[in-house]
Amino acid sequence: MATEPKIVAFLCNWCAYAGADLAGVSRISYPPNVRAIRVMCSGRVDPAFVLRAFETGADGVFVGACHPGDCHYISGNLKAEKRMENTKKLLKLLGLGPERLRLEWISASEGAKFAQVIRDFTADLSKMEPNPLKVKGNPKAPDAPINTKKVISEAMRKTNVQYCLECGKCTGSCPISKVNNAYSPRRIVERFLLGFEDRMLSGTDLWTCLSCFLCSERCPSDVRFPEFVMACRRVASPEVMEELCAHRGISMALSRMMTNPKIRQDRMGWLPEGAEISKRGDLLYFVGCLPYLDVFFEDFNLQLSKIPQSVVKTLNKVGIKPAILSNEKCCGHDLLWTGDLENFERLAKINVADFKETGANRIVTACPECYRTLKKDYAELVGNFDFEVLHLSELLSELVDKGELKFDSELGTKVVYHDPCRLGRHMGVYEPPRKVIASIPGIELVEMGRNRENAICCGVSSWLSCNKHSKAVQIDRLREVKATRADLLVTTCPKCQIHWKCVTSEKLPVSPEEVTMEMRDLSVLVAEAMHLA
Amino acid sequence: MSVSAMEAKNSVLVIGGGIAGMQASLDLADRGMRVYLVENTPSIGGRMAQLDKTFPTMDCSICILAPKMIECFRHPNITLLTYSEVQEVSGSTGNFTVKILKKPRFINEEKCTGCGVCAQHCPVEIPNEFDMGIGVRKAIYVPFPQAVPLKYTIDEEHCLKCRLCQRVCQAEAVDLNQKPEVVHLNVGAIVVATGFELLDVQGRSEYGYGKYQNVLISLEFERLICASGPTGGHLLRLSDGRIPKRIAFIQCVGSRSLKGGVSFCSSACCMYATKEAILIREHEPECEVYIFYNELKVFGKGFQDFVTRAQNHWGVKYVRALPGEVVEDSKTSDLTLWYEDTRENVTKSIKVDIVVLCPALVPRAASKDVSAILGLELDEHGFFKPKDTLFAPVDTNVPGVFICGYCQSPKDIPESVAQASAAAARAAEVIALSASKEVH
Repeated sequence: MATEPKIVAFLCNWCAYAGADLAGVSRISYPPNVRAIRVMCSGRVDPAFVLRAFETGADGVFVGACHPGDCHYISGNLKAEKRMENTKKLLKLLGLGPERLRLEWISASEGAKFAQVIRDFTADLSKMEPNPLKVKGNPKAPDAPINTKKVISEAMRKTNVQYCLECGKCTGSCPISKVNNAYSPRRIVERFLLGFEDRMLSGTDLWTCLSCFLCSERCPSDVRFPEFVMACRRVASPEVMEELCAHRGISMALSRMMTNPKIRQDRMGWLPEGAEISKRGDLLYFVGCLPYLDVFFEDFNLQLSKIPQSVVKTLNKVGIKPAILSNEKCCGHDLLWTGDLENFERLAKINVADFKETGANRIVTACPECYRTLKKDYAELVGNFDFEVLHLSELLSELVDKGELKFDSELGTKVVYHDPCRLGRHMGVYEPPRKVIASIPGIELVEMGRNRENAICCGVSSWLSCNKHSKAVQIDRLREVKATRADLLVTTCPKCQIHWKCVTSEKLPVSPEEVTMEMRDLSVLVAEAMHLA
Repeated sequence: MSVSAMEAKNSVLVIGGGIAGMQASLDLADRGMRVYLVENTPSIGGRMAQLDKTFPTMDCSICILAPKMIECFRHPNITLLTYSEVQEVSGSTGNFTVKILKKPRFINEEKCTGCGVCAQHCPVEIPNEFDMGIGVRKAIYVPFPQAVPLKYTIDEEHCLKCRLCQRVCQAEAVDLNQKPEVVHLNVGAIVVATGFELLDVQGRSEYGYGKYQNVLISLEFERLICASGPTGGHLLRLSDGRIPKRIAFIQCVGSRSLKGGVSFCSSACCMYATKEAILIREHEPECEVYIFYNELKVFGKGFQDFVTRAQNHWGVKYVRALPGEVVEDSKTSDLTLWYEDTRENVTKSIKVDIVVLCPALVPRAASKDVSAILGLELDEHGFFKPKDTLFAPVDTNVPGVFICGYCQSPKDIPESVAQASAAAARAAEVIALSASKEVH
């Protein structure tokens, strides 16, 4: 029992904050458990603020907003209501429970109401367990001080940075450099080689890299620039990173919270009725953050939960009962690529222990980020990683070879496939997805001009640096997609879908017909072709 | 010792009929040695015959090469074995036994006058290897007009056996029943000059070679701009036959590369690109030329002057950058290059009509076979390993076998010629020594 629960209250300047003030001057007593934070509008309260409060030890979060119709900014309160409903779903997934977050309409004259609401909330929280996900100290700070010079010199050696010939092929390839003249991978390398690392570590350039590996693919000196950037981010200024992070780093916050051994997630809501899964088995299906993404981006209506549903249904159809972890943690991809090696390693260790418990020897993932992280980074950073990691497309292509995938419908569409960077250039998986698509009767598979190792990134990775440049990259890619005159864009990465949906939901610099496109994940396409969706 | 044995000891086998092999043969023959010059293709001449001009003097390549080819043909001490391959070699220095396979030309070399009526009537047209596949040749052909020997050859793979050539040949030289012939030789020394080939750049998909019609490799471009080439020397775009207004060269495609190519510098590309750029400006003064390079390797005599002249007099533009990618406009077939100008630190793009890639020049794949036959050591790149890089550059691990030209290490024409003379001198020395041993 949380005898003295801590409550962080975000109070609107124009109503709830004044209400709390009135409660004070009117000498209405309410529990001292509440820490008030004044915001100009409840609409300012980002879900990331709420998660941050929980991460740093709050037992409950309260948002005080103007009554509907009273908002000084017309509809900030209504937006806040929608956002908090969404955040409650995230809290439910995390196992914290939606009841720890409360939003109330409190006007400036409702001092008594404010006091009553806080009294009730405190009483309710007192009946609950204390916040289990409370992290001791600063959750982002590394365990021991890091030797910056050593990290950089080691990274230079490992990633061949010293072999740079300064030919600029990287910059000539970089999708960001084409739209942002100030950004040049070559010059970043040059400055590190010249010893201007302090300036680089406190600047924004390191966070601009999409880690799409296009530069690295073409570099004649085999400089692995994205890996160098990844290593440098570990010692780069976290303040700059936070500023550039999309969605205020909510993805990283969720991942950090999952390092807490006390977490008991409630994340299996997507599981369709009649689906057969097991706790133990040869094949483990690693779902990834899809349940969270589906909630967080519900406005986009991408129905991302269809991906795991399709995977399980397809596997069941061919007689595989996959093992699934009901309390599966994030793979840690975003933490790794934003330089939080400590928390990444924590997640990796927990995950590997959980994998071992299932008795599986093969792990299949439908997400290219999970795939790279498990197959490459876990194997390198965590000892004794003796699992065979497969991307779903590899497994499906095996099944196509064996003749076990039976498609009983002719879709009759023209499909274009986009190579996600992490599946393609990072891991070299180009052909299996194409083989699976081409094996569906009635589908004509077409290619974009820049395909396979020359494919262009969807514009954002690791939720970093979402800006006008990434939007330009996205629009450029979507126009290329459209130019193929395909009916359907198929990819294997849910993030690609999110980023494209996002850019096409905004005000576009081109006519919508030039860029809007029906999208499908490979797993969903396969399930549809098998009449399973 | 019999006269024939004496003569055998006085003989040298030269493998490869390019400029290095020819030079070595002529040097040895002039000294009174008997030379057997073996060439795999129907004509001697090698890579130099394919070039339009040579740098830095801008000599017409075939004009200075053809007299040497004729000299090889006419020299009483040289026996040309074209369209032939060395199959086996045994023995040791001073006394090698060589087995050579003469592939059937299906033409009686004695009778053929080289008039070319057969080729006029041949119904088969296939891409011409000599023109790097840009032009066409017939199934009965000479590789190029100045071929030596000027004897026609029937390409067995593509011949329809229609016998039209046989009917029209007044010299009655066509002999479709010709069989491969094995020649056994006894020689005292061997000179290997197998030359180079261009690295396959199809894998460098970012530059679109093989995918975009207007992306060429340098030797293709050399044929395109050569007066004896498929367009008669008219500079045209292959996609639409239009005169180009802007051409870009990309250096170091696959060379000086630690990944997906070779790590060495091919040593000729900066200069031949400059030469080709000047040729473009001569042919089409309106056409702009850009050379994208990383470092200009202009180390030879007169080379820097050549580049300076290209820049200042001919207006060739040098850009220090290796482009990241070439993108084709599917409607116009124009090509856009993306690059970072590393002097100005700005990312730029430029639209051009033709892109010429300068691929790494690598030892011929067949040099592996030669190394196996002769027992020669190869280095990690496939070059023949000299006995000592500094003091015995043309000697090999096998006494009596010498190497010269590009198959030894990257070099240009004058260096190949100089080294060929060195190899010839060393071969002559070995023969003189073994002869003196016999006498004593």
